Formats: sequence, C-alpha cells, structure tokens
Amino acid sequence: MTKKETAMTEPRPDVLVVDELVAGYVSGVDIIRGASLSVAPGELVGVIGPNGAGKSTFMKAMFGLAPVRGGSIRLDGEDIVGRAPSDLVARGVAYVPQTNNVFPSMTIEENLRMGLYQQRHRWAERFDAVTAMLPFLAARRRTRAGLLSGGERQMVALGRALMTEPKVLLLDEPSAGLSPINQGDSFERVMQINAQGVTIVMVEQNAQRCLEIVHRGYVLDQGCNAYAGTGRELLGDPKVVELYLGSLSRSSRT
Amino acid sequence: MPDLRNRPGLGVAPLVLGGTTALLMLGWAVGANAPETSVLSEFPQALVDGIKFGLIVATGAIGLSLIFGTTKMINFAHGELITLGAIVAWYFQSIGLPLWLAALVAVVAGAGFGGALELGLWRPLRKRRTGLFQLLIISLGLSLAVRHIYLIVFGGASKAYSAFRVQDSWNFWGVSMTPRDLGIMVTAVLVVSGTAWMIHSTPIGQAMRAVADNRDLAEASGISVKRVILVVWMMGSGLAAVGGVLLGLDGSVSWDMGFAILMVVFAAVILGGLGKSNGALVGALAIGLVSQLSTLFSPPELRIFWALLALMVVLLVRPQGILGSRNATRIG
Ligand SMILES: Nc1ncnc2c1ncn2[C@@H]1O[C@H](COP(=O)(O)OP(=O)(O)OP(=O)(O)O)[C@@H](O)[C@H]1O
Ligand SMILES: [Mg+2]
Repeated sequence: MTKKETAMTEPRPDVLVVDELVAGYVSGVDIIRGASLSVAPGELVGVIGPNGAGKSTFMKAMFGLAPVRGGSIRLDGEDIVGRAPSDLVARGVAYVPQTNNVFPSMTIEENLRMGLYQQRHRWAERFDAVTAMLPFLAARRRTRAGLLSGGERQMVALGRALMTEPKVLLLDEPSAGLSPINQGDSFERVMQINAQGVTIVMVEQNAQRCLEIVHRGYVLDQGCNAYAGTGRELLGDPKVVELYLGSLSRSSRT
Repeated sequence: MPDLRNRPGLGVAPLVLGGTTALLMLGWAVGANAPETSVLSEFPQALVDGIKFGLIVATGAIGLSLIFGTTKMINFAHGELITLGAIVAWYFQSIGLPLWLAALVAVVAGAGFGGALELGLWRPLRKRRTGLFQLLIISLGLSLAVRHIYLIVFGGASKAYSAFRVQDSWNFWGVSMTPRDLGIMVTAVLVVSGTAWMIHSTPIGQAMRAVADNRDLAEASGISVKRVILVVWMMGSGLAAVGGVLLGLDGSVSWDMGFAILMVVFAAVILGGLGKSNGALVGALAIGLVSQLSTLFSPPELRIFWALLALMVVLLVRPQGILGSRNATRIG
C-alpha cells in the first residue's frame, strides 16, 4: 500500500497511476515524453489532444503494446511496465483499440466469448451482466460483427472489453468515425457504463464533448501533459479553450 | 448447452453434405440408366473417385489454410509435411506395426515436427520481424532441403503399404470400390468433420479464428497468440500427415509425393477462400470432382489442368474464392 495523500476528496487509492512515462515505437524517437495520469476507482478520466499528440500511443504503452522507455505504470500499486497484454487482462485491465476493434467474421456472441477467453467459467454470469448494460448485444448475438455499422461495432468492442469485469477500462476514441448522432450515443454509453461503477480512461479527439462528461481530464500535446484538471476546470480555462477547443485550435504548437 | 444455430461456417456442413449426396444420387441415376458403353456409365465411378481425391486433398488443405489464417504466411513446405506422414507410417508398418497404429505414430510425428518447426524456426523469425515474403522463400528452401533428405533416407523408388495391397472390390450401381477406398473416405470424413467441429465449437478453435480475424485484438483480449499459433502448426502438420497416409494408401509412397500434390492443395485453399477452413474443404471437394470428372471426356493426364482451369475461372468471377469474404477487415 502506498500512502499517497492527494488533495482528492475521496481517500481511496488510485487504481492506475502513470508517472513520467516515456514511450515510442522506433528507437531514438520518443512519442510519449513524460506523460502522467492517475485514475481513482469509479472515475471517468479523459485524455484529449490534437491529432498525432500521442494519445493512442499513451494507451498502447499502458496496455503493454508500445515499448516503454522510462517512467512507471502502477496498477493497484504494482509496477506493470513490461507485462504482456494477456497478463494485464488477467490483472483486470481491458483495452478497446481505436480501429479494428472487433473480430469481423465472428458473431457478436463469439466476440464476447473472446473477451472472456481467460475466464470462460464466468460466461453465463458475465454475458448477462454485459448485455444488461448493452441490450443490443443480446438481441443480435448471432450476427457477424463485420456486418454491423460503425456505432454497433463500437458496442461490440465495448462489450468484449467489459466481459472480464475490468478494474480499469481503456477506451481509445470510442466516438471516432461515427456520425454526430452516433457520437452522442457513444458518449452517453460511456457515461452510463461509468455510472454502473466501471473505472474508465478515455482518449478523445472530440475534446468538448469529452470534457463535458469526464470527472477529470488531461490535455496531451506532443507527448507531454499540457494541462490537467476537472472537466469543468479545463472547459473554463481560456488557454485550453483557445488552443484545444476553439475553432482556431490546430494540430500542433511549439 | 450452447445454441449452435447460425454459427458462421456451420451452415457450410449441410451444404457440403447435401450437395455431395445430391451429386451422388444424380450420378447413380445417370449411371444406372446409361447404356453400358457410353461415357455416362463411367460417371458414378468418376464421382466417387473425385470425392475420395477431394477428401484426401482436404486433409492437407485445411492445415495449410489454418496456418495461413493465423500467421498470414504461405508455407511451401506443406507438401513435405504430407510426405512425412506417408513415410513415417510406411516405416512403422514395414517393421510390423498394424497400419492404423503406424498411421497414428505418423500423425504424432507430423504434429511434433510441425511444433518443432514453429518453435525452432518460425517463431524466432517472427520475433525478428522477418517479412512475409522472406518467410515464403525460407519455406521454399525448407521444402527443397527436407524433400532431398527424404530422397536420401527413403530412396527414389515408390513403395506401397503392405496392408491392403490387393483387394477384391465391391460393385454396386456401376461403381467399384475396395474396402481400402471406403476406409480412406471414412477416415477422411471423420478427420475433416472432427477438425471443423473443433474450429467452430471449442474454445481453442474459436481462438484460432480470432487470431486469424484480428491478431492484435486477440492479443488484447488476453488470448495467448503464441500458443494458438503453436497449436495451429501442430494441428495443421498432423492433418497433413493424415493426408500423406491416405494418399500413400490410395497410390504409393514416394519422396516427392507431397510436393507433387502441393499445387492441388494450394488450389483447393485458394478456390475455397484463403484462410477459411471450411473453404479449404469446399475447395478440395470441388477440385477433386472437377479433376476426376474431366477424365470422362479428356485424357487422365490432363485432370489437374482442368482443376486449375476451374480455379482460374472461379477466381475471375469471385476473386475472394467460393467462401471467402472480400471485406473481412472492413476498417472503421
Ligand atoms: N506503430 C507505429 N510505429 C511508428 N510510429 C507510430 C506508430 N503508431 C503511431 N506512430 C506515430 O506516433 C505519433 C503519435 O501517434 P498516435 O496514434 O499516438 O497519435 P494520436 O494522438 O492517437 O492521434 P489521433 O488523434 O489521430 O488518433 C504519430 O506521429 C505517429 O506517426
Ligand atoms: Mg489515436
């Protein structure tokens, strides 16, 4: 147990603490250059930032899919840097990639089964729990995921990740590529799932909508934390609005 | 109990069974009513031979397709995995083991060799991020090397299994069939349907399809992709060994028998739809039927030509193969 006293109102220890993370794909090129983040149980945390800021890379590094060169990632106090994704799944982390996040030639039900591959004995219980959150998945359980629309696929991807009853769910741009109406549904869904007690870290390009629903947010720019605060604080910060939310916000600044 | 209705792929089984039965009935109807000397009287025999050949090819094609599906690698050494089964079984029956036991040893040896190849060669190469084209060339080299090891060890002559060498054949409705033919077909049907059941209904089979579908997501779901690929190599090689034994039983065993049939196995996989295990079965049956039926009107030497011609025609119409899906990895 780490005795970490922060200004947070809830004394519960954070589930996930990322500290000064350095990560990248090619040696010599760091994409993430000292980014930090923490999530308390039950929290909905958002990471926003311009295209190419490294948001997806940040997520992948947390999930063991991108090489980490420095800093630490702690899950319930234990360092998880260098652990394989299958190990992290066993420890209660779930991850939904930004793209290609379903098994297209498998049915919805089979997609969910793959999510629970490590704990197959819990199938009936978890299937009921997840389809209670996402009834669409039960109604269309025999449909192949490849035949679904983008929004429906996003639900399959979410459902697959929720099957293990994760301690923390990493969502990479759940609204990406969706029509405006579907985007609204997507944010609504993330909120509902969080309201059921699922701890979520969400990466979003749609910064405005994201900050409106999250408890706390981080602005990532060029691989570093530019700003951090509650969703409301960030929405009220003129600098954040000007650089990342306004019509003038562009891809990159120095 | 899991409800199996509408499982993808399971719909193929009734299609194959129904189609084959319908063809056989048609064959017998035609054969029974055709005049003794006409070409049509040979039809039932060609049909049965085609199905037999198709089933043998299928045992090789399913393994090749599974390996391609999960690793995206084209294994040109698959023919040698087929030959290995035939040779190992030949050796053990020649020292007195009953053929079924020799075949079992061959399958275990095949699976072991496949697993060893994965662990000792393919996995280290993948870890070093060797490109798929390079892997293809390496498999060609491996095929050549292993084939010539067979030549040295087994010799250049063809040898037959001592059991079932000469048998009385049964005759019915214009088809003559030996107990050996029946044994080959029954074994192939059991092995192929057992494999299809495994792929569709067991957790490891579903994991194989998941890895084939989206490898990264399989990894992110907590599936050990490494383990799945190892199982696929062992299974695919074991199936190839079965194919080798059946092929040797149907004809004879030789050092390059697998290489000789490799083109047909590839054709079956591509015709059915790359990476679809049911596709391999459908493709193999189609290739078997076309090649044997062609002997009704053209010299038997050209039967593989007709089969490959059929492949080209089908691919012109359906580039993804009979069961393949064009948009398997639709992005978005
Ligand atoms: N697999 C990879 N190999 C090498 N470089 C990569 C890889 N994936 C991403 N990058 C690079 O890392 C940088 C950050 O990419 P990343 O996908 O993390 O950005 P992002 O913030 O998620 O962008 P977006 O909002 O467009 O999703 C980009 O410059 C990109 O080119
Ligand atoms: Mg991204």
